[in-house]
Amino acid sequence: MRGAAPPLRLMNPRERRRFWLGHWRLGLPALSVLGLLLLATAPLPLSLPLMPPLGLLGVFVWATFQPGLMPPWLAFLLGLVADVLLAMPFGVNATLFAAVAGFVRWFESRYGHHTHGFDWAMAAGVVAAHALLTAQLMTLASHPVPLAPLVLQWLTSLFAYPAVAALCGWLQRAVFGARTAT
Amino acid sequence: MRRDQNLAIIGAVVTGAVIATGLVMLLIARVSPQFGAGVRAAAVDVVTPLWSVVRAPFDGLGRGIDMASGYFGAVHRAEQLEAEVARLRARLQAAEADQIAFRQLSRLGRLENPQRRLVATARIVSASQGTAVQTALIAAGRNQGVRPGQPVIAAKGLIGRTIETGLGSSRLLLLTDPQSRVPVLVQRTGQAALVSGDGGPLLVLTDQAGPQDPLQRGDRLLTSGEGGIFPPGVPVGVVTDAAEPIRVRPAASPLGAGFVRIEAAYAALPATADTLPITDAPVPVEAQRVGGIKGTVRGIDAPAGGGQG
Repeated sequence: MRGAAPPLRLMNPRERRRFWLGHWRLGLPALSVLGLLLLATAPLPLSLPLMPPLGLLGVFVWATFQPGLMPPWLAFLLGLVADVLLAMPFGVNATLFAAVAGFVRWFESRYGHHTHGFDWAMAAGVVAAHALLTAQLMTLASHPVPLAPLVLQWLTSLFAYPAVAALCGWLQRAVFGARTAT
Repeated sequence: MRRDQNLAIIGAVVTGAVIATGLVMLLIARVSPQFGAGVRAAAVDVVTPLWSVVRAPFDGLGRGIDMASGYFGAVHRAEQLEAEVARLRARLQAAEADQIAFRQLSRLGRLENPQRRLVATARIVSASQGTAVQTALIAAGRNQGVRPGQPVIAAKGLIGRTIETGLGSSRLLLLTDPQSRVPVLVQRTGQAALVSGDGGPLLVLTDQAGPQDPLQRGDRLLTSGEGGIFPPGVPVGVVTDAAEPIRVRPAASPLGAGFVRIEAAYAALPATADTLPITDAPVPVEAQRVGGIKGTVRGIDAPAGGGQG
């Protein structure tokens, strides 16, 4: 997964096996985002649409923690699941999750990693952009939605971000060991 | 160094390809909304049992609290209920007389009144919050006879209609979804209108037709039975704000609804299909002409035959 690995053709069989088996690590971000997506379908006894976009926050958090473990194609697949679970047209969340993962990867490779506070502000911006683009893409899929509920969602996602970040950080430490935590 | 650059380029290309795939899928969804219906049905079947199991202890707790609080003030409520029974009995007698008169008049007018048919009774497992699409999951599906496009009604009023059906569970579009349209009548004035959602907790009343009586706060709205899905006479909501945009509070909320009825679609569109070739795209009834382009429009030109003479 890291750039340090030698090219595939130059590996001996043992290295190659280790390279391919090392991909199991992709399962942790994938499974945790799946869990968050399921959580986002939970029944809340509220009459306002307040459930934050947990799946998006999960993708964002993993893309900042471990860009190698949240490649855009994985985010795309998770977005497809999000579209199915949230009853949205296929492609809305798939496109946006992949774009978020790609954007964060580019941003961090260019400007380096940041503090928690900066990531929080960036998450707020990313969720806002996601809300605006969701409205646009839903219109493209001939299913226009008003923006007001998405604004409410943005407000709750401000509070949900630290919780999602803490959860993903804890998962990463518990599964990969303390030294991998950033 | 060169290898890192190559990897970066490959990564960018993959990202671009993936995003392009997503956009293509959106275009497919625009052209055929039924794209991937099987996958969605399977997903509904996965999610619904999960939440029905998870929420069971909370429901039990809530019921226990309800029962405990029911013991307090039981005598007072029994007295109230007895008074109400006496009042309602008188109204029931009047209604029975009306029923007889209505049957006689229907027979005289050869009025065909479609019957409402119960398909299944199920509980609402979860109502989705904070998504662009406002839906709920119910624990009844194809095995129980539920199909897309059937009305879902709770004890207090209309909840929505089914849009996706799995084997043992279905997804329904709530009234609050922006895509939801319900033809209604204003009970006080008999005015027809449409009620649609906008993603918030309240509904919006639009497209009023008929006598332009100004609406009042507290006006009740019932389904009119037009459109062929919702049966007539089901409470939809109460007007809370009579100024434009007219706001309506839904009569029933999917959150506390518990059990709901899923009924067969009330009356399919009139049988224009046997005289016309069936196309896949839904054509509005007004646009369907009998006998080609130059023919008469059903329901508009056809009954006007007497008016010419």
